[in-house]
Amino acid sequence: MVDYDPNLIGRVFEVTDPVPVTAEMVAEFCQATGESGPLYVDQEAAKRGPYGTVVAPPSFAVTFRNGRQFFEHIPRFGRQGFDAGKDVEFVAPIRPGDTITLSSHVKEIYEKTGRSGSMVFVVVRSTLKNQNDETVAHVDHRFMNRP
Amino acid sequence: MTTVLDLHSHSEASEDSRAPLEAYLNWLRLRRTERPVDGIVLTEHRQFNKDADYRALEDKFGTLVLKASEVETDYGHMLVFGVTDEMTRRFDFADVHLPAQEVIDEIARMGGVVIPCHPGRPNVGLFEHYSKKSPLQNIAAVEVYNGGSRKGEDERSQQLAERFGYREIGGSDSHLVSLIGLCATRFEGDVRNIEDLVAALKGDSYQAVDFRPRRRPVQRAVAVEVK
Repeated sequence: MVDYDPNLIGRVFEVTDPVPVTAEMVAEFCQATGESGPLYVDQEAAKRGPYGTVVAPPSFAVTFRNGRQFFEHIPRFGRQGFDAGKDVEFVAPIRPGDTITLSSHVKEIYEKTGRSGSMVFVVVRSTLKNQNDETVAHVDHRFMNRP
Repeated sequence: MTTVLDLHSHSEASEDSRAPLEAYLNWLRLRRTERPVDGIVLTEHRQFNKDADYRALEDKFGTLVLKASEVETDYGHMLVFGVTDEMTRRFDFADVHLPAQEVIDEIARMGGVVIPCHPGRPNVGLFEHYSKKSPLQNIAAVEVYNGGSRKGEDERSQQLAERFGYREIGGSDSHLVSLIGLCATRFEGDVRNIEDLVAALKGDSYQAVDFRPRRRPVQRAVAVEVK
């Protein structure tokens, strides 16, 4: 079995400074991803929608993972690895004018075997909160390491 | 009377699958003609969900849903049918280096059945391990049709089964909704619950079936004269 300190699980290892969300950031994200939903790009249409204003598309939540050293402190195993995908749980819309803070902890570490050999997976859960301390999303980042 | 079961599938309870059980059952209902499967067995990776109760979905879709597990051993991956509390106490299903022979013998003693899956697959299949280590004893059957196999893997599985006289099962190994029921096992008689399935697997009245569409041969290019 993979050897690691079980106290790592659940321990918050990184909290970012608040990141302000601007209307320009949302518009650029929509442009870059080809998002054309009126709730995200059309202020007039969005006014008549459920949120009364333009909001960021749900996938905008994953843009908060970076900061050059964001995952500097997560446990690593072995010689190499790669980003093995993400699961995002959307809780509430992100709006222009919000400031988003990320708090990250190691959710899970597990080992498995496959065609290419042994792998150790580290799942880091980032919780995104707005300026009102409301959770807007959980993002689970899955990293694969070769032991 | 026969019963056709997909003996190998993964729902979203497995970390590498995103397939909800209800979507599997709905997909099978829509494709009953191409994949005439009476039921599926959820074989989640390295775990057994004792408390999961799928009766409401079974009733809604008229499809049998049974629970088993896929564990990882020093001879590759294996399906465990008839999992009990005694088994999960005896073995840590999350351990990816379980001793295969011990697992096979002990699970049998406790009333279950262990069947190596995708034996023709590199690294996690029996075939490769047999090239380096002595063969295992008391193998009831191996999975010769696996819906996730790459070219040559099922053929190696069949060679292995033939060489050692193993009986044969099939399963989709589905991790995606659209792949459920592609491979399965046809049992003579009625299989209505996990006890029936374990008893049937201990017998010899079953065969692997393959519902994967045949690939059409690539048409050879024909030179034409351009005028």
